[in-house]
Amino acid sequence: MKVAILLYPGTWSERDFAHAFGLLGIEHEIVWHADADLHGFDAAIVPGGFSYGDHLRAGAIAKLSPATRELRRAAADGMPILGSCNGFQILCEAGLLPGALVRNTHLEFRCDWVRMRVESEETPFTRGLGGELLRMPIAHGEGCWVADEDTLLRVESSGQVALRYVDERGTATPEANPNGSTANIAGLRNEAGNVLGLMPHPERCVEDLLGGTDGRRMLEGLGARTVIPA
Amino acid sequence: MAEFAATIHVRPKAEVRDPQGEAITAALRSLGFDVAQVRTGKEFVVRFSAADETRAREAARTMGDQLLANPVIDDYAVELRAPARSVPR
Repeated sequence: MKVAILLYPGTWSERDFAHAFGLLGIEHEIVWHADADLHGFDAAIVPGGFSYGDHLRAGAIAKLSPATRELRRAAADGMPILGSCNGFQILCEAGLLPGALVRNTHLEFRCDWVRMRVESEETPFTRGLGGELLRMPIAHGEGCWVADEDTLLRVESSGQVALRYVDERGTATPEANPNGSTANIAGLRNEAGNVLGLMPHPERCVEDLLGGTDGRRMLEGLGARTVIPA
Repeated sequence: MAEFAATIHVRPKAEVRDPQGEAITAALRSLGFDVAQVRTGKEFVVRFSAADETRAREAARTMGDQLLANPVIDDYAVELRAPARSVPR
């Protein structure tokens, strides 16, 4: 397993992902977006940050990168692809995931911890975690997922909602929703299940020192489930 | 080739919430205005060359479709002017 971690101008979480995969013993390489050639890789990460300074819309300019063509090809070939935060925004802008991510309804940049319930196991990152509650950090101002009614019905009925913001009892309440996202949606998968996008940061909760280890449960899905003491 | 200037107005679709517009509504009310609603948007003024007006209009729409607006959340309208020299630089 070798993971490509894409780096756009303005990406800020690529080294956190590299650190996380290092802890998990998963081979990885940070790849500059303009040179992206995903042949020779087994999975790809689109990390968080502010690609192109979020100019125009978050992810709008990054979607024109040569990396998007590669991501599209690799996604069609079934490659596991994970987009977190700005990576989720880029995947939506590129049309690899449905809907769009807009300004948080309360207009605040929210830096916090959230809980999510795993609603779909049909991704390489959530396999075996169905129904589990995961606690992860967020840091975003534009994480409110929206779509037209048909798209919402489609993602709900086809099981594409992979993660939903919930409270400590596992209930999707307005209070548990950090950004006003439609139906408390925190993460979505594509129809095939190999592409997952989520607003929270699994790479920032892979060791106790960072306040949580649930991110490891998601990322280790790519590897041989290397056991490292927490 | 002729020079054109297109103004592309991008606004969130009617059914998409516009929290910035809501905040501005509240702010205008605090100034004493009897404001029912504010919808925000963006305006892009693009100077470019095209063979003729038809092509220019097509090009401006393609800019809207492929980059300036996100079809999931935005509507947009194109205003085309030529020649561009009449537009202040």
